[in-house]
Amino acid sequence: MAGALSSLKIVEVGEMVSAPYASKLMADLGAEVIKVEPPGTGDLARTRGPFPGNEPHPEKSGLFLYLNTNKYGVTLDISKPEGMALLERLAAQADVLIHNVWPPDMERVGLNFERMRRVNPRLVMTSITPYGLFGPYRDWRAEDITLWSAGGVCVINGGGADHPEMPPLKAFGQQSGFQGGVHGAVATMGAVMAQMRDGEGQQVDVSVQESISSQLELFFEYWPYMGLIASRLGRKPIQPVESMECKDGWIYVCCIEEHQWRGFVEVMGNPEWANEEIFADRIKRAENWEALKIFLEEYVSNQTVLDLYKKVQARRVPFAPVSTMGDLINSEHLKARGFFVEIAHPVAGTFKYPGAPLKYHATPWEIRMPAPVLGQHNEEIFGGRLGLSGARIAELKRGGVI
Amino acid sequence: MAKLPLEGIRVADFTWVWAGPYCTLQLAHLGADVIRIETRTRPCITRVLPPWPEGKPGGLNRSGYFNQYSQGKRSLTLNFKDPAASEVARKLVAKSDVVVNNFAHGVMDKMGFGYEALRQIKPDIIMASLSGYGDTGPYRDYVAYGPAQVPLSGLSALTGYKGWPPMHSGFSYGDPNAGVHGAFAIMAALFHRAKTGQGQYIDMSQWECSMVVLPEGIMDYTMNAHEPERLGNADPWMAPHGIFKCMDRPERIAGNVIDQWVAIACADDVDWGRLARAMGRPELAADPKFATFAARKANEDELEAVITDWTSSRRAAEVAATLQHAGVAAAVVADNKYLADEDPHLKERDYFVYLEHPEIGKRQHCGMPWKLSRTETKVRAPAPMIGQHTDEILTGLLGYSAEEVAKLRAQKALE
Repeated sequence: MAGALSSLKIVEVGEMVSAPYASKLMADLGAEVIKVEPPGTGDLARTRGPFPGNEPHPEKSGLFLYLNTNKYGVTLDISKPEGMALLERLAAQADVLIHNVWPPDMERVGLNFERMRRVNPRLVMTSITPYGLFGPYRDWRAEDITLWSAGGVCVINGGGADHPEMPPLKAFGQQSGFQGGVHGAVATMGAVMAQMRDGEGQQVDVSVQESISSQLELFFEYWPYMGLIASRLGRKPIQPVESMECKDGWIYVCCIEEHQWRGFVEVMGNPEWANEEIFADRIKRAENWEALKIFLEEYVSNQTVLDLYKKVQARRVPFAPVSTMGDLINSEHLKARGFFVEIAHPVAGTFKYPGAPLKYHATPWEIRMPAPVLGQHNEEIFGGRLGLSGARIAELKRGGVI
Repeated sequence: MAKLPLEGIRVADFTWVWAGPYCTLQLAHLGADVIRIETRTRPCITRVLPPWPEGKPGGLNRSGYFNQYSQGKRSLTLNFKDPAASEVARKLVAKSDVVVNNFAHGVMDKMGFGYEALRQIKPDIIMASLSGYGDTGPYRDYVAYGPAQVPLSGLSALTGYKGWPPMHSGFSYGDPNAGVHGAFAIMAALFHRAKTGQGQYIDMSQWECSMVVLPEGIMDYTMNAHEPERLGNADPWMAPHGIFKCMDRPERIAGNVIDQWVAIACADDVDWGRLARAMGRPELAADPKFATFAARKANEDELEAVITDWTSSRRAAEVAATLQHAGVAAAVVADNKYLADEDPHLKERDYFVYLEHPEIGKRQHCGMPWKLSRTETKVRAPAPMIGQHTDEILTGLLGYSAEEVAKLRAQKALE
């Protein structure tokens, strides 16, 4: 059985996370993705770890290997006219062009929708950029930390009311890029559905900042509705919802509904202190958290994580382990679901990678090939697909175009 | 403008709280007719949570939380304690393309709306379940709440100040992240159905969705058997890279002094030179303590103190603009007021949505994070009041007569 997107042809001009993640989502469902990298250095993600043995190597970046499974890899200098001409020829054969070229660089190399639609009126061109394709911050530089801040998330995370001196805190990794990528993939699929219906393409302008600020839970609306600022310094309105330390690791103690608290109290053996008026409901437990914390720490610190987790879950109380990476890899649940996938790469070696975010019953999510080594498919794509002669390819190589 | 991309696609939306509604919001944004199936006997918790207009609760239609994530959807109330309600829902499924839920595993089966049952009604139906743990595996019946996904996924173990315990992400990140991945899964399934006529069932685990965005942490372990240290706002490849104190907001808000911060990241030595000059300290660019990445990393505390010295007497927006002008990545650490009122860029992009809601009037909401050039890009309606569309759906779409609707209402099947 072919993947759900096996008839879709995509060209990606992407580096780091956002555009590569959008096209990985599609490639893993069967889409053909031709990834275009700059000759010589390749995608910047190749310089970012983790690396086996912590030794940087352009073919061994865990981030790059993960983000580029199932893609053909070619090199092309699109700042040279011959390079842009070849990109146009690739786009002429594609349904979708996804890129995250920074707007000032788009202008410099002349990458734009008008140009691409001239070679392919059916083309969907998705631009995933930090702040979108227009507006006063269009040309602003960005990294994950500045976008997670500009999107409004950093401000609600930090050391809490007792530590105003500690700064707002970003989440680990490249969450801005992932959110730009997955939101971009949704919008791209929308444009692909419209392409099927109307036979015409269009431009999809995805702002990473907006992808983040559209998911601020209830925090954004506190200002327009109530004139209140959501802050990392607020106290929790209900308790207990905190990470606490067990004998062998951390567990997230989570009693949101009253029946969940009662379940936890039963698991603790109905201690007398739990009958105190000051702990009578979730709001009182938050008001008297300092006192409650002492009792809970006393109990939790004598438990083991998995044992407590299973005991409370048996009463439908939604605790969760504060998983380490090792906990995830060794999880009996994730093993049973086959979440992690082992992928062999000719240079980097064989490692487990995070697997599928979804399981379809009728069509597969599958790894057909590992991430490409730099320029791995130049001959296959430029020769086989575009019909360039061996001599022409050699000439383009000498000219630094590929 | 051409029609919205998903015009003509109908979604029977059994979701609640946040992950599911965030999923179906994406489909509504793209033009699908999303019908939220709700009940007054157990309303979605987000209908009763704050924020409420001017802080006044009351009724089920006033919450900004619900109203943000239900924009452009319709609401149908059904009380499944009455078998007649199930019959209405079955008729709706027969006219739908997609069914979505984010209940725990097995709940839809118990309600009589498992995939096999739905397929009997509509052979090419696409059904997506966004449960906490997925449909298989030993923990499939475990309960998952949004905030617990962050620690469960490994994100907490990776996030936190240096030397501190595992921390959180500040919001229930696992929810919208699973929701938007769910929307992608449904879009791809719709594409497949358009090509082949085949529908399918989609099993999604919020836990798994939360791990697909953590490859650097997970692969450090699978490559090196190494558990990454928590780095706070620092970065293994960039320095300086942090969030720096600025002047407080000049005005108090609700009686509170509000602190402000700026995020700054220098990718290389060139960026650092630009930052040093922008701070009026050009000599620092070549200072052996800071001239190279390795030196800046070795002296990171001192480096951050130097930057804080400069930022702390300035407004965050001024610092960000000055640094961007110099070519350095920087941004205001935006709070909700900054986003809503002060960010000139979001305004210019027409990002916010102001639609007249029948009960609470015009309120500012976040809109869609993309713009399409040929097909319409607009939020079509404010979030529905509970049961607002019950009558029009029963009579207009499902063919019930007004008398039949009145009878169903009298027997409380439409609560």
